[in-house]
Amino acid sequence: MELELQQLTKSFGHFTAVNHMNLTMSNGVYGLLGVNGAGKTTLMRMLCTLLRPTSGSISCNGKDIFKMDGEYRRLLGYLPQDFGFYPEFTVQDYLLYIASIKGIRPAAARKKVQELLPQVGLAKASKKKMKKLSGGMKRRAGIAQAMLNNPKILILDEPTAGLDPNERIRFRNLISELSEDRLVLLSTHIVSDIEYIANQIWLMKDGTLIQEGTAREVIASMPEKVWSCRIEHSQVSDAMRRYKISNMKSEPQGAMLRIIAEKIPYPGAVCTEPSLEDVFLYYFGEKVGEEA
Amino acid sequence: MIFYEIKKVFSKSMSKIALLVLGAALVIVSILTINNLEYIEYADGQKHVFTGIAAANKLRDAKNQWAGYLTEDVLAKVIEENNKVNSSKESQSDDFNENDKAYAEKQGFSSILDLISRAFSEYGDYDYYRADSITAQEAKGLYRQRISSLEAYLETEEKQFSDAEGDFMKKQYQALDTPFYYEYEDNWKALLQNISTFLLILALAIGFFVSGIFSDEFQLKADSIFFSSRLGRNRAVLAKIAAGFLIATGLYALFTFLYTFIVLLLLGAGGSGCPIQIDMWDSCYNLTYLQAYFLIVAGGYIGTLFSSMLAMIVSAKTHSTVIAIIVPFALLCLFPFLSRIITLPGLCSLFPDQLLELYIHLKHSVTFSIGGTIRTSVPVLLSAYLLLCAALPPALYCIYRRTEIK
Ligand SMILES: Nc1ncnc2c1ncn2[C@@H]1O[C@H](COP(=O)(O)OP(=O)(O)OP(=O)(O)O)[C@@H](O)[C@H]1O
Ligand SMILES: [Mg+2]
Repeated sequence: MELELQQLTKSFGHFTAVNHMNLTMSNGVYGLLGVNGAGKTTLMRMLCTLLRPTSGSISCNGKDIFKMDGEYRRLLGYLPQDFGFYPEFTVQDYLLYIASIKGIRPAAARKKVQELLPQVGLAKASKKKMKKLSGGMKRRAGIAQAMLNNPKILILDEPTAGLDPNERIRFRNLISELSEDRLVLLSTHIVSDIEYIANQIWLMKDGTLIQEGTAREVIASMPEKVWSCRIEHSQVSDAMRRYKISNMKSEPQGAMLRIIAEKIPYPGAVCTEPSLEDVFLYYFGEKVGEEA
Repeated sequence: MIFYEIKKVFSKSMSKIALLVLGAALVIVSILTINNLEYIEYADGQKHVFTGIAAANKLRDAKNQWAGYLTEDVLAKVIEENNKVNSSKESQSDDFNENDKAYAEKQGFSSILDLISRAFSEYGDYDYYRADSITAQEAKGLYRQRISSLEAYLETEEKQFSDAEGDFMKKQYQALDTPFYYEYEDNWKALLQNISTFLLILALAIGFFVSGIFSDEFQLKADSIFFSSRLGRNRAVLAKIAAGFLIATGLYALFTFLYTFIVLLLLGAGGSGCPIQIDMWDSCYNLTYLQAYFLIVAGGYIGTLFSSMLAMIVSAKTHSTVIAIIVPFALLCLFPFLSRIITLPGLCSLFPDQLLELYIHLKHSVTFSIGGTIRTSVPVLLSAYLLLCAALPPALYCIYRRTEIK
């Protein structure tokens, strides 16, 4: 399975949300990391044939996905960022309905639903109405729906947003489990999620990819160093103006800072191992998505 | 797929409310219809007015004594009977109540008397007492008189028809089978006069069921998953159209059947073979009650389908259920309402709301000249909107399958 984007562009009026992207993906987990408004959802919608590109093309094994139409969507599973359900349907009815519009025969659909419900931890809730599910359960139903047709291409738009830490870790494991033998593309602005599950990381900013590679490669790509130091409280505002600060912890003796800079920022600062979070900060210039 | 689409519709609370409203409308219109019938009886000098089922039974007994073909002999006999009642002391009395007693005696043949009055009144006019001054001999010419009063009308200045239309009307009048077959038919009369109201309510209510089929995907934000699924841009769209069609057809058939069944069960089903001219004397449609019933029901069905399909197109295009619900109202209620305020051009008799008013079209024949031949409005309406109904689903399919999620 190979997906190839060529000069992919999407504009809304004068605003360009995705700007001449060139990419190739094959099996594996790809993590798309970017700030709000970077164009992640727009890119994913195009990959799901929901939006037509303004220019450029997307091809799957060499064939244009918009020409393949249903043939392409047969391979596709999609968990949208912000989505809804039919409130009066039970979880089971919902999954059977989605199975039917995915062209799965009723008998096979029932079997698949019975198989997926325990896998996503919804076995007990199968007769519950969708409107009575919690946010986490809805997301589980969402991933179950995406998995119904055993997709070769799985696109997950912020699958862990809005989940509590426990639920997030469980969800992360679920995704890792489901990602074998598939092409998985997931977006998030939570750095730690990506660190755990993605083999390949893409940093996206203003509609273009600014960095790609494994976590190690992306970290290594950062031209500046990470310094750890303690400074006086009175120096903090000055430091914030001059440097990118990836972390700050206030202590009685002063502020513990993690600073990204080319040269040693303060005397006594110690050069430390950079993390993906530092890289994120370096490229996006601000601290984003602080989560529990 | 279609099963779940239908299930989606009926699981909505709005659909449940619409079902309740329909049930209530069924009961109310049935009661109103049944109460159209009235029978007056005098017992021990007391006046008893019967309505509904009791009236139906009494009327049936009284009228079916005259059941059969209205031949010259029967018509003459009706006049004789009428004269007998008219010369009774009750009828001659100045007391209104006494007159009423005389009228009560006529109830068995009053419908036949009406026919005679209509025939010998001027065309399009109706002198209720005309039959009182007709001799038995004259009454025998009832069927000839129907044609000659039309002819006389066509000679006048105020005629509403062109020459070609007049000729057409005359031909239709001549083609009508005589003598009429007659029996108790107040049941059918009441049914046909009231069914339009019920069909209109039904058509509007069905709009509530179908208008969410397409837009709810957007309103519920279920659209991304729908359109990214394998069949989301082809067979799943067809399933939605099919669901809308089945819901409209199923509800229409069910409720029309229930209404007809209730009315005919309570009022009796006889009289279906009588010509509609017993109720609609001037009609140029040579039909029986049963045939007219089917035409009216077919008109209502096509009207319902048309407004539902249009509502679904609006629903698919605007992504708004509310706007879609308004469509049937605008289509079926706005035009008739407007036509009361301002005079709309003659073309208005071809607006879709007219499909639900075929009773009026059958009664007051509207004719057009299309390509040199004269056509009556009922078949024109039915065939034109049937064609339009057939053209709408492909349009709906194309609109919905091209949807982009922005
Ligand atoms: N339909 C639209 N019309 C106009 N502008 C749009 C539309 N959809 C998206 N945009 C703009 O495109 C940009 C990218 O949006 P997109 O939703 O792809 O970002 P994102 O990376 O998914 O952000 P987030 O992390 O908040 O989900 C945003 O600036 C947004 O305002
Ligand atoms: Mg997004």
